[in-house]
Amino acid sequence: MRTGVIGLILPPTFSFLEMMWRICPALAVGCTVVALVPPASPTPLLLAQLSGELGPFPGVLNVISGPASLVPILASQPGIQKVAFCGALEEGRALRRSLAGECAELGLALGTESLLLLTDTADIDSAVEGVVDAAWSDRGPGGLRLLIQESVWDEAMRRLQERMGRLRSGRGLDGAVDMGARGAAACDLVQRFVCEAQSQGAQVFQAGDVPSERPFCPPTLVSNLPPASPCAQVEVPWPVVVASPFRTAKEALLVANGTPRGGSASVWSERLGQALELGYGLQVGTVWINAHGLRDPSVPTGGCKESGCSWHGGPDGLYEYLRPSGTPAQLSCLSKNLNYDTFGLAVPSTLPAGPEIGPSPAPPYGLFVGGRFQAPGARSSRPIRDSSGNLHGYVAEGGAKDIRGAVEAAHQAFPGWAGQSPGARAALLWALAAALERRKSTLASRLERQGAELKAAEAEVELSARRLRAWGARVQAQGHTLQVAGLRGPVLRLREPLGVLAVVCPDEWPLLAFVSLLAPALAYGNTVVMVPSAACPLLALEVCQDMATVFPAGLANVVTGDRDHLTRCLALHQDVQAMWYFGSAQGSQFVEWASAGNLKPVWASRGCPRAWDQEAEGAGPELGLRAARTKALWLPMGD
Amino acid sequence: MSAYNRGTELDLSWISKIQVNHPAVLRRAEQIQARRTVKKEWQAAWLLKAVTFIDLTTLSGDDTSSNIQRLCYKAKYPIREDLLKALNMHDKGITTAAVCVYPARVCDAVKALKAAGCNIPVASVATGFPAGQTHLKTRLEEIRLAVEDGATEIDVVINRSLVLTGQWEGSDFIKTSTGKETVNATFPVAIVMLRAIRDFFWKTGNKIGFKPAGGIRSAKDSLAWLSLVKEELGDEWLKPELFRIGASTLLSDIERQIYHHVTGRYAAYHDLPMS
Repeated sequence: MRTGVIGLILPPTFSFLEMMWRICPALAVGCTVVALVPPASPTPLLLAQLSGELGPFPGVLNVISGPASLVPILASQPGIQKVAFCGALEEGRALRRSLAGECAELGLALGTESLLLLTDTADIDSAVEGVVDAAWSDRGPGGLRLLIQESVWDEAMRRLQERMGRLRSGRGLDGAVDMGARGAAACDLVQRFVCEAQSQGAQVFQAGDVPSERPFCPPTLVSNLPPASPCAQVEVPWPVVVASPFRTAKEALLVANGTPRGGSASVWSERLGQALELGYGLQVGTVWINAHGLRDPSVPTGGCKESGCSWHGGPDGLYEYLRPSGTPAQLSCLSKNLNYDTFGLAVPSTLPAGPEIGPSPAPPYGLFVGGRFQAPGARSSRPIRDSSGNLHGYVAEGGAKDIRGAVEAAHQAFPGWAGQSPGARAALLWALAAALERRKSTLASRLERQGAELKAAEAEVELSARRLRAWGARVQAQGHTLQVAGLRGPVLRLREPLGVLAVVCPDEWPLLAFVSLLAPALAYGNTVVMVPSAACPLLALEVCQDMATVFPAGLANVVTGDRDHLTRCLALHQDVQAMWYFGSAQGSQFVEWASAGNLKPVWASRGCPRAWDQEAEGAGPELGLRAARTKALWLPMGD
Repeated sequence: MSAYNRGTELDLSWISKIQVNHPAVLRRAEQIQARRTVKKEWQAAWLLKAVTFIDLTTLSGDDTSSNIQRLCYKAKYPIREDLLKALNMHDKGITTAAVCVYPARVCDAVKALKAAGCNIPVASVATGFPAGQTHLKTRLEEIRLAVEDGATEIDVVINRSLVLTGQWEGSDFIKTSTGKETVNATFPVAIVMLRAIRDFFWKTGNKIGFKPAGGIRSAKDSLAWLSLVKEELGDEWLKPELFRIGASTLLSDIERQIYHHVTGRYAAYHDLPMS
């Protein structure tokens, strides 16, 4: 089902083609678009003319040419269902913060930097052409980080410098130029970057036939920039290439993945095994093998980490403008007086009102972290009451330290789990399902104490087990290859795990919702930190007892305690890769606001209840889409 | 000719370390044709320059002294006199780089060039052209006879069986092919050869020449070849000592383009002298 009205915010550096790549899928799916373009370039006028030609359908495509200050105004208009922002990192962050709680969803596509990895088994001349395509031409969006294997460093630098000497810059309409100009602001940025780099000890090489007038800046190659210098942390502007050496492929991956940006990268190596290993290991949205900058509308293009998680092109690009049928449009849960600094900071005390009467309950549950139950850092626990108000049990009071420990444990388990084949993961999920079925009576009796009927409770347990099995099976059947016109060779659409996923479960359906969220997250290779239902976490902890025997340590971690406090800790954690929140409206707003820290993708319920027992909402394809991220791997063929 | 290639020890490790990625080279080849378009008077200048690189060739079974004579005259006066006058280039001595013929016709070519008062070299194909499958003794004798008759350049056909078994020879020029194959001079192949020339120059200081031959018929193509050499190797290689184009009909197409540039009209077939 289509989303509705899309507000599209485009940066001044976009070409007409890139604008169309974002507008056309939206229109094709049935949405209407309001595009805000800065007045710096003449392309918005062409766009506006085009939309005027859609005579029979006025209002389908609207173009506003205006300054950046209009962005928050457009984004918070009541009629807009989704805002798609393409542009710079800090603006995207600010937009994420200001749109927390508003009814519009936000999709971000940030940053323009790309990466080129040159190994010693590469065709260096062709890789140099790849560098030209990426950074020193009008096709590349931004600067380039170039990683060269040490053994071919001298050769590569020599060829790069030779090639730079042959580049020509000039006005775009001159038929014999390689690159044009991108405005005075871009030129200033380059100047500043180069000066700073030189002051930090880097060597700067500039060459090419470039007019000396103002907005033209020459192709620039920066080398020997110390990795710890501030220049090495910021995004590389166009047309600068920052070159650094690496020794082995492993080191290359560490260096390449060691930035917050995750847009696109190319790997140059004639050894297939090495090329694929590097391609799979890079944390980016698009990988080209022995090519750079290839694009096609049928291939999803996007990023991860701080490059934003919105996609254009391919099936993922269409999903941006769709939402599952039957779900209502997102409501605004904006609460203007939500204090982000104090939300969830202090834990309200849970001292009992009076002395407890009744049989002494079992000793309190610990937190399930790292494959075993541990005592919480705060050494305190909270009581859980059943439906008749009697004491059901005690669970641990988790705090910030426990969240930190849980996220660490999840990270430790992640490489092993992500490296498993889908079949192996499915086997473990099936084993958990079998364990649940064996303990059906215990689980059902717990559910009964919470007020469920026996039959309903048993049905809930069975459904949970079924869901585990279903997700295991679903992950195994994944088609990958896309056909791209004009390319010989496949393009693989890989679904990769996000990393560590934080999930805050809803209050209702304490067992079913817990399992329905756990299963897809684990099936796609993520490791999870879960905050179970606040009303009755005991069901989740019962499942943990089975997980302790079936799963490897750290795969799933369950932390109980004050929901708002734990939510705060997870949302602000920079090393959590994504967050699902099914709690209150205020909590949803906080989570969206806090995600701006590392721009983690967030799925928040905004206080709307969800029918977990229905297939569509409890086990639908939306869960599968949100549990993994896409990577496009281009493999041009030919010898 | 430039200083002879002194040669080096055959070091096959140079070759085994080289990697060539075919799809990437194909992409570069497409770009070359699109990204360096030259227009107007600069195009005319580039075309005249291209003329000076042509090895005007005739290699057909029915070559006789009459068509050789016509060819040599055309080599001396490649572009019609009045067109050159209009471009103010009539006194710059624009001729083709050489005339290329079969060994049996070298005598006729030398005689015709002398009669025309022209000192451009006569190149001869030799060594069992085009297949190269003759005895070494006869191949060497062919070369000797051609040189005796007055040829100063020889297009040698290498023994492909030696190539396929890894036994290599050295040379002053490398040529894309005999020109008689089904696929001759294409840009991807040329890119790889030019990169190899550049590598060899960086390693040893020797400059090797390059000659694409076969299938270069249009003036537009010749401009693309010139810009390819300029981009990959630089202006130093844009000299007849280091760059030749083996062609026969190319010259008439260039002449037609020049005619169009000077007069603004398209020439008929009979407007321009035959070669």
